[in-house]
Amino acid sequence: MFSLRGLLALSLVLISLANAKSSTGNSVLVVVEPTRQGDFSIFFDGLKGQGYDLTFRAPKDEVPPIIEYDEASFAHVVVLASETKNFAKDITPQSLITLLDLKTNIIVALSTKQTPLTSLAPEFSLILPPPGTPLISYFPKRDEPASVIPISPSKHDATNILSKNLAPIWFSGIPQARGNNPLLIPILHAPSQSFASEVDGGSADALVDSAEKGGEGLWAGSQLGVVTGFQTLGGSRITWLGGADVLSDEFARKEVSKGVASGNTQFARDVAAWTFQESLVLRIDKTEHHRLNETEPQELYTTNDQLVYSIYISKYNAKKSTWEPYSGLKDLQLEFTMLDPHVRTSLPSVAGTPGKYSTSFRAPDRHGVFKFVVDYKRKGWTHLHSSTTVPVVPPRHDEYPRFLSAAWPYYAGAISTSVAFFLFSAIWLAGEVREGTKRSAKSSKVE
Amino acid sequence: MLSILPALLLALSVQASVLTLQSPRLVVTDSTGSQLRSEPLSLSHKVATPVQISGKDTLKVTFQVVDKDGKGVQPHQTFLRFYDEKTNEEGIQPIRVTPGGKAKFDLNLSKPPLSLPPTPNGDPLKVTLLIGSSLYDPLSVELFDLVLPRSQAAPEHPLESTFHPLPEIKHTFRAENKLPPKFISAVAAGVVLAPWAVLLGLWSQVAPKPSRLFSPSILPFILSLGAFEALLFRYWVGLQIGQVLLYGAILTVPTVFAGKQALSSIGNRRLGRK
Repeated sequence: MFSLRGLLALSLVLISLANAKSSTGNSVLVVVEPTRQGDFSIFFDGLKGQGYDLTFRAPKDEVPPIIEYDEASFAHVVVLASETKNFAKDITPQSLITLLDLKTNIIVALSTKQTPLTSLAPEFSLILPPPGTPLISYFPKRDEPASVIPISPSKHDATNILSKNLAPIWFSGIPQARGNNPLLIPILHAPSQSFASEVDGGSADALVDSAEKGGEGLWAGSQLGVVTGFQTLGGSRITWLGGADVLSDEFARKEVSKGVASGNTQFARDVAAWTFQESLVLRIDKTEHHRLNETEPQELYTTNDQLVYSIYISKYNAKKSTWEPYSGLKDLQLEFTMLDPHVRTSLPSVAGTPGKYSTSFRAPDRHGVFKFVVDYKRKGWTHLHSSTTVPVVPPRHDEYPRFLSAAWPYYAGAISTSVAFFLFSAIWLAGEVREGTKRSAKSSKVE
Repeated sequence: MLSILPALLLALSVQASVLTLQSPRLVVTDSTGSQLRSEPLSLSHKVATPVQISGKDTLKVTFQVVDKDGKGVQPHQTFLRFYDEKTNEEGIQPIRVTPGGKAKFDLNLSKPPLSLPPTPNGDPLKVTLLIGSSLYDPLSVELFDLVLPRSQAAPEHPLESTFHPLPEIKHTFRAENKLPPKFISAVAAGVVLAPWAVLLGLWSQVAPKPSRLFSPSILPFILSLGAFEALLFRYWVGLQIGQVLLYGAILTVPTVFAGKQALSSIGNRRLGRK
């Protein structure tokens, strides 16, 4: 009992010490062969130093389970066991998909070997080369084998995920042909001179033959990716590494040229930061709508009302572990839709109010149930979606314009009828009764 | 075995030497087979004028890969790279090289190879020859720019457009109602009010004097009739039907009594009871 309390206290201290980094949680499960655990110590130490709570598990271990009672046990999962053919029965392609549904983020390393995870890649629009064909490149001239390739990030890579001025990154593994799925985020592309081939014994004729087969016969060129991210519709992120070695100590320490350290350490850091929801994470704090020159929202709006819509957006700051108002989105758009968007307008940030984006527009002259829709999807960024339903009604009977100049004759007619009736009544009621006087005059005559 | 491999490659790389191309040549022929263009290619600088092919023209590139002793070599990698800098589309076409190093590449637009990138804007493609081998230094030669006829753009995912700013949509409003000029309305209102002139003129001749206007039996009824008119006017300006019915009902009570009082007083007078 005492020890339990002690443990609890200790864990509380640990939690408070831990520098919470990710916006979704700090627990990380690393699935790695125990013999290879030491090969990634720089990567693991980097994660621990940032406050992540690492749990290691051999691919065939049964515990700790990744999903328990339909709840994900960890916030993030790293599968570095790229050559394992048989995993414990709770690590299957299906369970990884379930994990993504449960908002767990995953880093998966692939290898030239055919594993259960190889068959998962096509579900993410990644087409892998046949087994046993790593990416090789004879460019540039170097002492390393052709399958160990330095890759310099270019402007076509995920410049918002990777640090600026990253040194070339050592890579060894397989390339992925990327489908045109817009949820894919190319993080690092293969060099244009590289191609997938058997390391030794790969013949020139075999390459030509595979190209002539058509389709995805030849894996070559910069259209291929070596590290590719994917953000699910639910917002969880998965990163596919063409090879686990890109995170390894060996490549992190390996110099790209004399005296120039490789970019692998920082690259691993950047990839983990993106995958673990540290960078490019946005959220909507609140939305507001009201009529121009008012402050309170209406239950319903009238056609042709001038409407004001505002949205407040925050970005996660991993350094301070806080959400901060973010005004940096330049291409936010607002749609006012009834089945189809009737109005689509840009939603610019408001100077002076951080994180606020606001616009004003005239409600369409069609009545119905409309929605204010903000649907912001950009590669690498959290997808933002907000939908607020408001009815737009035609003017009520007393909301039409009054005193139209065209109706002046009618007003004049109605008012003069009323006035005439009143005057007539007054005169009739208050007038002298002449008949009476006549009659009295007559009677006096008779007398 | 694996540990030996790098050492082996290292050892090989020490011996690695330079590959070069012998008699590289570019020929463009039209469908009848007549040569439109034929010129040698250079390793040091690319062809000045872009190569343009269209319709049924055929582009033919021939060369022989030789080492520095002039012996034919079949390298592992002999690729032609077609690259569109603007769209970042790339196509890689491997070239079959005979063991003697002889290579020939035909590009016939009636049967374009699958590797050719789409050229929706007709921008020139940079054509680069890549030769790689574990035994020799890699060789990358920019040969020429190739202008192909415009093609369909690369197929796009149906949702791809939602990942970019979408075109703005402005609602087209119905035209505002047109009002006739105010002058015409004013004239028409004047016409409607004209009978007042007649009415007032005639009244001035024949109207009885409202001598009992301030009589306590008549005035309340006239005031309450006036109040009804005012209520109806207010209804037109701003009140709602419920309010009108409520105020009207309240107003009815004094009106009924005032009316009875006024009418009976008039009746009495006419009968000469007073």
